[in-house]
Amino acid sequence: MTLVNGGAPILRMESISVQRGGRAILDGVSFVARRGEVAGVIGPNGAGKTTLFEAVAGFIPTAGGSVIAEDPSGLFYLPEAVRLWPDRRVGWCLEFFARLFEREPDREAIEALELRRLLAQRAGSLSKGEARRAALALALGTPQPILLLDEPFDGLDFRQTRSAMALLRSRAAAGRALIVSIHQLADAVRVCDRFLLLDHGRAIAEGTLGDLQALAGNTGATLEEVFLALE
Amino acid sequence: MRWSELRALASKDCRELFGSTAFALLVLVIGPLVGMSFISAVHAYSEASGGGLGQAALASALSPLDGILVPAFGAYDLLITFLVPFIAIRLVAAEKSSGAIALLLQSPASPGSQLASKLVALLAGWSIVLIPAVAALSFWRASGGHLSAPETSALLLGHTLRYLVTCSLAIAAASIFDGAASAAIAVLAITIGSWALDFFAAGRGGWVATVARYTPSAMLRQFERGLLEYDAVIASFVATIALLVIAAAFLDLRVSRRRRVIRVVAALVVAAAFFAFGRTSRSADLSEDRRNSFSLADEQLLRSIDRPVMIRIHLAAEDPRANDYERNVMTKLRRTIPRLHAEYPYAGRTALFDGDDRYGTILYRVGAKEVVSRSTTEEIVLDELETLAGLTPPQRGEPEYPGYPLNASPRGAATLFYGVWPLLVLASFVISRRPYSRRTG
Repeated sequence: MTLVNGGAPILRMESISVQRGGRAILDGVSFVARRGEVAGVIGPNGAGKTTLFEAVAGFIPTAGGSVIAEDPSGLFYLPEAVRLWPDRRVGWCLEFFARLFEREPDREAIEALELRRLLAQRAGSLSKGEARRAALALALGTPQPILLLDEPFDGLDFRQTRSAMALLRSRAAAGRALIVSIHQLADAVRVCDRFLLLDHGRAIAEGTLGDLQALAGNTGATLEEVFLALE
Repeated sequence: MRWSELRALASKDCRELFGSTAFALLVLVIGPLVGMSFISAVHAYSEASGGGLGQAALASALSPLDGILVPAFGAYDLLITFLVPFIAIRLVAAEKSSGAIALLLQSPASPGSQLASKLVALLAGWSIVLIPAVAALSFWRASGGHLSAPETSALLLGHTLRYLVTCSLAIAAASIFDGAASAAIAVLAITIGSWALDFFAAGRGGWVATVARYTPSAMLRQFERGLLEYDAVIASFVATIALLVIAAAFLDLRVSRRRRVIRVVAALVVAAAFFAFGRTSRSADLSEDRRNSFSLADEQLLRSIDRPVMIRIHLAAEDPRANDYERNVMTKLRRTIPRLHAEYPYAGRTALFDGDDRYGTILYRVGAKEVVSRSTTEEIVLDELETLAGLTPPQRGEPEYPGYPLNASPRGAATLFYGVWPLLVLASFVISRRPYSRRTG
């Protein structure tokens, strides 16, 4: 894995706060995403990962803070629970969405995510993992340089996860910035260059695994042990 | 808005609409509904024309507009009120609940073009839904029935505008509310509210009557009389655009609450400004029997009155004379006299038994001259007004409308509407739902 801490910042989140029902869901979270890297937002359920993505994408109002992007329209957010048009074929969904951007569907992603045999299937008939791969291919086919992917490997088996990770890494190497939320910490370590650790809406640490191990005072610790030590 | 983008979106929305079970059910239902209305109307018309054992009605009273067109299209009234909102809501609500709307909002397609494409798809759906009406009219023509193109077009336009406004309202509701059920309840509540307003405003003057003229039912009634009110057409388009602007403001999740409120208020202000200042009393009488117009000679005289004309009708709203007078006289007067003001001082009262001597009278004032009459008959009202204005009433002959009696029985209509149509719709639906792998072999 190539660490690219030196990549140019492409997205800057500064002290983002979100409140819901008088409760702070996110409390002053800051993070910088860089070109050419895969950044992982890590945290337990309820940590605020999805809320952070929604706030950065502008889908929910923030109570404070700002999002500064190199290109404000250069960001694409793939929600976790999204389902493509259920009555339409998968191939049609991918073609339709690519056409909106005046592009062709991402053939490389279709191959890598083993979607070829599913192209003629109705999107509504796909299993959870198949639907997730189709949505991932759709997101990777967009031209935006920053991708926010909420749980991209959810429902994928180990082989599919490996292929998807390789695909994400290749897209980052091509110059995109990928920010992914992952609850499987082992998967996160395999695909991410840097991490933002979230707990109860607060950023508890950020950096490479080495940085985080140093912060936790345990150079051989796993990401899980680091998280538990820092929370 | 790019053309290619709108085409892609419209293609997606057409597929979503035509492939849905809800739309298939709607199309399935409309055939027998139109068929039943049409076949009953033809039987009644034939009996009135002297068919069967009955006595023939006066030929000039037999108009295909009233006898065939309005009843046959009546099925669309039901459809637009109770079923169309659901298919329009579904187009928006399905994408909101699946999360697909979040993807679309990040594409170059603006919320405005997304909503416009849904409206295009719904209009394409309307052209399919209209097929049974076209079939009914074809049966009527094939049976030797008469159709007037202007009054048929007026009726078709009336229903189309109503469909357009209902779809826009449903789209706006689906954009505002989170669930399809809430949106459906909101649309039905507004429909029922418009009926209540219509009922309440019957025979009343003032702002209530003015507002009630723009309820969907009231506007449709004018088209059903062959009257093309430019006001109604413009009002329908203004309402459609305002509702779509409101829908777009709510659909775009990335718009701040403040900007959303500004857009909604701006749409409401523009719509209100139209209703306050942009209205016109101009209209075209497209009915073949000129039922919405006085004779040409009377029209010419009335249009020449350059002084203000005031009419005060001392009749309660529920008095049948008030309704007759409103429908047969006032509607025509409004179209003809440029400076007409009407008052209904008894509109809100049940004045039949309160011993008021003025009850039942109608006061006419032209400039400084006035006269009181009890008649609600068109000829007498015209005489009073023209004499007050210092004009000589013209000689009035019998109306020239010949009427179109016809003793017909549309052969094959029942088979088409009750048998062939449902089978065709079911077959199309089953074929469209077959798995793709089987279809492609």
